[in-house]
Amino acid sequence: MSDVFARLARDLGAAFQESSGDPWPDEVFALWAQRIFEYQVETNPVYAAFAHKRGVTPSALVHWTEIPWVPSSAFKALPLVSGDVARVQRVFRTSGTTGSERRGEHHVLDLGLYRDSLIPNMRRHLYWSGAGRDSPTEPAADSGSHKDGARLPILALAPDPSDAPESSLSFMLGVALEVLSGGRGGFFITRDGVIDTRGLDDALAEATALGTPILLAGTAFAFVHWLDSLAAGGRAYDLPSGSLIMETGGFKGRSRVLERPDFYASLSKAHGIPAAAIVNEYGMTEMLSQFYDGPVAATPGLALEDRRHVPPPWVRTRVLDPITLSPLPLGEPGLLCHVDLANAGSVMAILTGDLGFAVEDGFRVLGRAQGAEPRGCSLAMDDLLSGGMV
Amino acid sequence: MTITFDACCVPHPSRGSTGPAPTPVWDTIEVSEDASVRYPVWTSDEAERLLESLSGAGERLADVPVLEVVEGIGRVADRLLDSSDPIRREAIDLLPPTAGVSREMASEIVTGMARDWTAGRLTELLGRELGDPGVLDGFRPLDAGRMVRARGPLLSLHVGAGSVPGVSVTSMIRALLVKSPVLLKPGLGDVVLPVLFAKALGEEVPVLSDAVAVTYWPGGASDLESLALERAEVVIGYGGDEAITSLRVRTPVSSRFIAYHHRLSVGLVGREKLTVEHAPRVARSAARAVAMFDQRGCVSPHAIYVEEGGAVAPGEWAEVLAAAMAEVEVEIPSARLTASEASAVHQVRGTAELREASGGPVRVFWSNEGFWTVILEEEMRFAASCLNRVVSVIPAPDLNVVAASLGGVRRYLQTVALEAAEDRRPMLAERLSAAGATRVTSFEMAPWPPPWWHHDGASTLAGLIRWIDLETIHPAAEGA
Repeated sequence: MSDVFARLARDLGAAFQESSGDPWPDEVFALWAQRIFEYQVETNPVYAAFAHKRGVTPSALVHWTEIPWVPSSAFKALPLVSGDVARVQRVFRTSGTTGSERRGEHHVLDLGLYRDSLIPNMRRHLYWSGAGRDSPTEPAADSGSHKDGARLPILALAPDPSDAPESSLSFMLGVALEVLSGGRGGFFITRDGVIDTRGLDDALAEATALGTPILLAGTAFAFVHWLDSLAAGGRAYDLPSGSLIMETGGFKGRSRVLERPDFYASLSKAHGIPAAAIVNEYGMTEMLSQFYDGPVAATPGLALEDRRHVPPPWVRTRVLDPITLSPLPLGEPGLLCHVDLANAGSVMAILTGDLGFAVEDGFRVLGRAQGAEPRGCSLAMDDLLSGGMV
Repeated sequence: MTITFDACCVPHPSRGSTGPAPTPVWDTIEVSEDASVRYPVWTSDEAERLLESLSGAGERLADVPVLEVVEGIGRVADRLLDSSDPIRREAIDLLPPTAGVSREMASEIVTGMARDWTAGRLTELLGRELGDPGVLDGFRPLDAGRMVRARGPLLSLHVGAGSVPGVSVTSMIRALLVKSPVLLKPGLGDVVLPVLFAKALGEEVPVLSDAVAVTYWPGGASDLESLALERAEVVIGYGGDEAITSLRVRTPVSSRFIAYHHRLSVGLVGREKLTVEHAPRVARSAARAVAMFDQRGCVSPHAIYVEEGGAVAPGEWAEVLAAAMAEVEVEIPSARLTASEASAVHQVRGTAELREASGGPVRVFWSNEGFWTVILEEEMRFAASCLNRVVSVIPAPDLNVVAASLGGVRRYLQTVALEAAEDRRPMLAERLSAAGATRVTSFEMAPWPPPWWHHDGASTLAGLIRWIDLETIHPAAEGA
């Protein structure tokens, strides 16, 4: 069985690496989805029973959209592994806002497949060949060809992967540092979760002095703390042209909350880069592929509210009616449901609690459906979870 | 068809009777596809005038005998219970688009709430809490050497939750019973009943409605709110932890603050009620208790502990409960859920289905008709609901050990619907009370606590009134 997975992962990884970044034709995606669904039903008895109850079997599958999704919160309840559990290489965990909150777990069978998914996608969106040489606000004629892409050093507002082995973001940024940044850069959140202010100041000052554009990447809440520290010290940077910022995740419970335009304006002002050089990464521990609301280079002058997240070719995202779960046409808000082929070793179809709507080549995220104020004077599960009571 | 509801009913300052809001600037919030709520934006001058007019009305209200207050309120309650009265019809028409409940639910809620606002029930409340309600009209002898009188606050500020329709009317009525003028900010999902109630009071008893101002404003950002927090002698807040905290810190230390923060409730079914004869009946009242208010009430059960060893096993009872939930869905259809509410249910259902698929005893029951969901759990561990008719059935080896599993929610526990043999109830209630519960009842009564209940553990009028002792001076002490 493990040989089957090894072959599948190898084939998938090769397909990811060879991809130009343009969407795959439907039939190509469908073939992969069929192969992975067959594999997952065969190797994951829980998912197989689940799919069976939903009345879907690989032999009767007509279209990949019928592949049964699991809710993202299922990753909190039980391990979802398609393959030999003994061969799990790493368990990534979602961050909890309190110590006792039940965290989602993604058991990853093959970190190589994870790398194969994240590298081409990051390269396309953050390390495109124009970045680091020209202003990213100017369109790059060759943004699709990235073989000689800029090797921006990465300064990560995240803990070092060796300090945070459960963090998928740290893992991702670690791979980026090693593969895409040519080993240049570093991690500026300590083991204790504190920003290494002096280290980051030194690194930014050095990049500025040398005129080396950099990629500053981290979580939104860490950026807020970083901005506060800059403001408190009266410091600001004028980073070399071509520098980028990648921010990800929300603020909830970990920093004050900023509206996106204000957040980007502050980031832009404090680092001397245009707002167009700030990219949002939308990803989740439960998925080995990510979405970027770029490439910024291809969309100069695009207003923030018009940005959209673009899936890599091996992910398809549908928007489902929140009540009936039937698919919605472009422009209509609903729940985002992803089919990520890189999740071959767990479950590839995931219904999120995120609201968004589909556009021509991707989707726009409107926010989290859960976490909104529930109507009622009864305490809802979310409140209990955030209060750390269950 | 979309409607716009004016979430405002305030006394007219010059005429001293209820009329249109004097303020010219209004804002609008869309509350559903079918309804918007319009509310006045109070300037500080207008806020000042409004509070002055309430205070003047309060002086006149102080002279009205309490039994007349009770009768006046009761007349409005009777109208809400009268199916031929236009005010009841208006309430039932307006609740679905504004509060998101079904029409059938609206009717249940208006009936259930108004029943407890009738003169008979309110008289009983006064009697049970104060002994002699006359203490609200003047000094009455209490015990040797002492007369007492009770007075309500010169102004009470009520901040409702965006929640169960009618809850803020109950809060208003409690204050009127102790002759306190009321400034009520209802929750966005509860604007209809307080406004209609205040309007009807204006038709029935102007002296009462003059002392009532109902007006919505978005919390935290209003001149009226700041001024009212300064002036009110009692502030009553309903809502989530954040809303309550925000009110609490802004209430002056010299004012009383009464918080009804979010709570949760559970059910317990003993093996003697799990006979073939009783089990379906208990399941049916449990289903109604879960469905009522679409489980958004603090009295709504999140989870039901079912004792093992009865003729009907917990797993079988879960199935009976599911059938009952389906029946109740037909009688009182579910609310139309928001995207976030629906998403929460899909997440919970899907996760439960996977747990079911993993081969353990977990079972999940639901139907595409409505959002009701029953989840049979495997371990005896409290499971909170995402609300909107999602209930867990938790097998318990013995009801005596259930209380121990509620430790994590002790501070939030409120009602326990306990279905067990009469002779077991006192002992079980003893344990549940130690676990934080403030009310032990049946499924049938769970949604409708009587007016004199100890709401979250305290007397409802006691917190509003101030007692004044008049001590008799013994002739000997004067040296006569």
